[in-house]
This record gives sequence, C-alpha cells and structure tokens, in this order.
Amino acid sequence: MNVMTSGSKQFKVTPPEKGSFPLDHEGECKLFMIKYMRCLMENDNQNSECRKFSKDYLECRMEKQLMSKEDLKKLGFADLIPEV
Amino acid sequence: MNRLSSFLQKQCRLFAHQAKILQHPISNHLKSQWVKAYIILPKSSFPSASIQKFNNCHIIQRCAHTQQEKQKRSTVYYVIAVLVFVTGLSYAAVPLYRLYCQATSYGGTISTGHDVSKILENPKEAKKDRLITVKFNADTASSLTWNFRPQQTELVVPVGETALAFYTAKNPTEHPIDGISTYNVIPFEAGLYFNKIQCFCFEEQRLNPHEQVDLPVFFYIDPEFVDDPKLENVDSIVLSYTFFEAKDTEKFQNLPIFQHNRG
Repeated sequence: MNVMTSGSKQFKVTPPEKGSFPLDHEGECKLFMIKYMRCLMENDNQNSECRKFSKDYLECRMEKQLMSKEDLKKLGFADLIPEV
Repeated sequence: MNRLSSFLQKQCRLFAHQAKILQHPISNHLKSQWVKAYIILPKSSFPSASIQKFNNCHIIQRCAHTQQEKQKRSTVYYVIAVLVFVTGLSYAAVPLYRLYCQATSYGGTISTGHDVSKILENPKEAKKDRLITVKFNADTASSLTWNFRPQQTELVVPVGETALAFYTAKNPTEHPIDGISTYNVIPFEAGLYFNKIQCFCFEEQRLNPHEQVDLPVFFYIDPEFVDDPKLENVDSIVLSYTFFEAKDTEKFQNLPIFQHNRG
C-alpha cells in the first residue's frame, strides 16, 4: 500500500487505537445512526449538539457485540453519563 | 623506505643472474610504475617462445613501490569504504525515516502511540473557541465497484471533543467483494493531531451482493493542536478515505503497519 518513494510528502498511515469496527451487516444500529445524522442536519453539522446521539450509537454497538466494551468516560462522554 | 627499495633492487638483480630475464612487453608497462620489475621465470620452465607462459609467471619481487602506487591503494580503500557506508545507510534509512516521519509528522504522518488517555476526561473543557471543520472525502480505486461516500460532508468539532462520522458503502454487484481502505489527512501537519479511536480502515471488509453498510469513524483532535504554531490559521482539515479491492490479504498481514500498535 505504501511505498517508500522519493516523494517530498509521503503520508504514513497508522492503525486506529482500538482497531477496526466490525461491519454492521445486519444494520442493527442503523436506527441510531439515522438519529445522529438527522441531529447533524438539524444542527448544521455541529458535533457538540449531537454528542448524545453518537453516545447512543456507540452504546448500541457495544451491546450488539460490534465494538469492544469501553468505559464511556474513556471515549470522551464523561459529561453524558447518567449519574448513578 | 630507501633502504628497503635498494635491498629489493639488489634482490632483483640477484634473481636476474639465476634466471633468464625476459623483456616482455608487459614488463615495459610495469616499469613505468615500478622502480624495477622483472618477470622472472625459473630457467627450467622457459621454453623457446610461448606467450601463454607469461600469463602463468610470477612477479617474484615487487621491487619497490612508488608513492603513486601507495596513493592509488589508499584511494581504492577509501572508495570501498564510502561504498559500504552508503549501502549501509540506504538499508538503515527505512527505520530511520519511519521514526523521523512519526516524530515530525512529515507528510501527514499520524503518530503512533498516542493513547486514549489524551481524550478529555471532562468534555466541557473542550476549547470552544477553536472549532475545526472536518470535511470528509471518499474515494475508491478504479477497479473497485463499490459505491462509497460520506454520510455528512463536514462536521464542526471543537478541539479535544470526540466525534463520530459515517461513511456508507454499497456493493451493487452480484458477487461478494472484499475491500480494504486507507486514509489521509490534509493538511499534513494536522495529521499529527488527528487521533482515530476506531474506524473501518486497514482490515478487510467483505460486502455481500447488494449489501449496504454504514462505516463509522470515531476520532478526536488532540488538544495540543491549538499550541502548534504551524496550525494557527488552520480551521478545516480534510479526512479522505480510499477503498481498494482486497485480493490477497495474507500479504498485508506482514506489513510493518500491522505489526506495531495493533488495536
């Protein structure tokens, strides 16, 4: 994929921290995805407004074994965790 | 040196008495470099005239080296040393270049080893005054017949906040196709601060016939982005994914990018 050519700017890709998302073939979390996209459209693509929906999507993935379970705090959702 | 050369000259003359001295054309050539050189054959092996024999003869005495000869030799050694050094450097360049690129984010390298702990524990600290517009781009290799596009054209993200973005891919053909993707971040300097927590790249993804899937990318921009003077005026970055057809993925497993920092 990447060849050490003598170019001036050579991009070097690195793997993501938690690896790759397994594909959601059955579309189990598609509903959450649609909700998130709708929020983005309504809010002019502002991520800050729609973080709740992205948290829901990731939670769905974790439940359906499409993502390894991770503490939401580590994923940057510390303020959205409901107080127990 | 003079004593040695005179000694050797004496030796040459000594041998000359014992053997028949031959004035072969080659010895004339040698004489221009050497003080005295004789091609000497033992008496017994000397036939009447045979050019081939001269090729088998021994130059018994190197009757004195000139300064030129010495200089030539040291030049040869020097050149050989330079060659060896350059060859070694070209082999060492591969890991050195990789280290250099990661350290300086040359060419858009995203550094390895940035850990999840860099995500802000308290997202409210995210600097709202520095909003970055992340634009999304999707490409496929010409041989790949997937329909691959981003779900959103752009996303406005404060530095340090985690964000989710979606791409979709659809396989309109009648047979399953495997794809594998890679990405790029422009401007290259911003690549150092673009941290992907999880995405769909590098692993082979199989799409069944007529299947459509959502491909999420979960990322954040390192808070140190604001401290980089080179990125002072940068307000938008472009994240570009390209899908290729995965043919023989066993080959890819051996690439160095898979071996360090995997998952």
